[in-house]
Amino acid sequence: MLAAPLALIAEVTHRCPLHCVYCSNPLEMAAAKSELGTKDWRKVFQQAAKMGVLHLHLSGGEPLVREDLLELVDAAHTAGLYINLITSGVGLAEARLSALLKAGLDHVQLSFQGSDESNANWIAGTRVHALKVKIAPVIQKSGVAFTINMVVHRQNLDHLEEMIALAESFRPQRMEIAHAQYYGWAFKNREALLPTQKQVEESLRVVAEAQKRLAGRIRIDAVVPDYYARYPKACMGGWGQRQVLVDPSGKALPCHAAWVIPGLQFENVRDHSLEWIWRESDSFQKFRGEQWMPEPCRSCDRRSQDFGGCRCQAMLITGDATATDPACSLAPGHFQIEEQLQRMNASANSTPANKAHGNAPEDFWTYRPQPR
Amino acid sequence: MPQLEESSQPRLAAGCRWAGEGENRTLLFPEGALRLQDTGRAILERCDGLRTFQQIVEELQIQYGVSDPAKIRADVSTFLERLHQKRVVDF
Repeated sequence: MLAAPLALIAEVTHRCPLHCVYCSNPLEMAAAKSELGTKDWRKVFQQAAKMGVLHLHLSGGEPLVREDLLELVDAAHTAGLYINLITSGVGLAEARLSALLKAGLDHVQLSFQGSDESNANWIAGTRVHALKVKIAPVIQKSGVAFTINMVVHRQNLDHLEEMIALAESFRPQRMEIAHAQYYGWAFKNREALLPTQKQVEESLRVVAEAQKRLAGRIRIDAVVPDYYARYPKACMGGWGQRQVLVDPSGKALPCHAAWVIPGLQFENVRDHSLEWIWRESDSFQKFRGEQWMPEPCRSCDRRSQDFGGCRCQAMLITGDATATDPACSLAPGHFQIEEQLQRMNASANSTPANKAHGNAPEDFWTYRPQPR
Repeated sequence: MPQLEESSQPRLAAGCRWAGEGENRTLLFPEGALRLQDTGRAILERCDGLRTFQQIVEELQIQYGVSDPAKIRADVSTFLERLHQKRVVDF
């Protein structure tokens, strides 16, 4: 029998004060006026909890731009969900945090874009680093479970040790050091973000060293760059197996990037129950299980571990969502990733740019804009 | 890293809490959940920040009628240290 998803990712808005160049939001974002209201979300949270979902990830955009965030947290807590707030910290102050905690918020995940202020602001496309530095100790002092998340890529990896030191100074329980995943805005900016082979090797060493040094104080979760891996990631724990995402307008997707796959119709929680969408809708069934798999996945021993990798990455790189994830060294399309990496590693562009040094032109990358 | 001692008083770390009853009894934490039965659950439900490590081991010895006290002590210690690394248990 199909189990319930473990987690609901609720993108409560695509509005965000930041413009991060690796944002996982779709290129076509949900307009502010299309957003679900408080009552709609309450219904979704109740349905989720009833079907057995444990975790709610309040994400965005920036969830704090929702004026009803306190009501959303209250609704989710009342429904019985474990609530993670995934935030840039912009819009958080001591009083608001304290109210959110009283309403049942369980965990705060705060993002940093870099250690150096000008570099971090350059990546976020706005001046927010100083604000984050100010709010981090407030979060720590509140006693809430606290994770610092840092997305890494070619333009900040050379500062990884300083980034870890900065995060460490805020004494979170956890750090997440995540290599950018190349979907959404990150895919659009891939040429500027893909790390070099040398950076990847160095980052693995730095992370392993920090994990050892901080053991028992700060847990470090690392997300590895799958372009450099031998086998693909077990994306989302399998299509329609463990997680469900609801976007600001109420559309339910199996992951952040599934909108890139043509021909899938994503049902809306305004029209159907979350449980029906999870169990019955075509989009969630499309790549569930092993029926859809091509060779070499179909006869591969690893198919129950990585589920053929990521459907969206297969689509983005090979143009075929049913292909083996080209991140896999066994995939027919793997040469496309290898060529990309060879080209990048050999190019002069492989040296990180730096706005302060004047070698990052205005059109260096595309900032994520605000939704309409 | 702090060492687990006889007098340590293990407790669930910030952001870790129980949910569900009976066979659905689950320990929730920021990036995951553990559905715990039997000994794992018996250990963690005693991590209340009041009982000492020594008390927890003694209680488990009685509950499970264990003939080898050294072994249960070593098992509980390994289990708690592993969860400490995950930042699920503090002591």
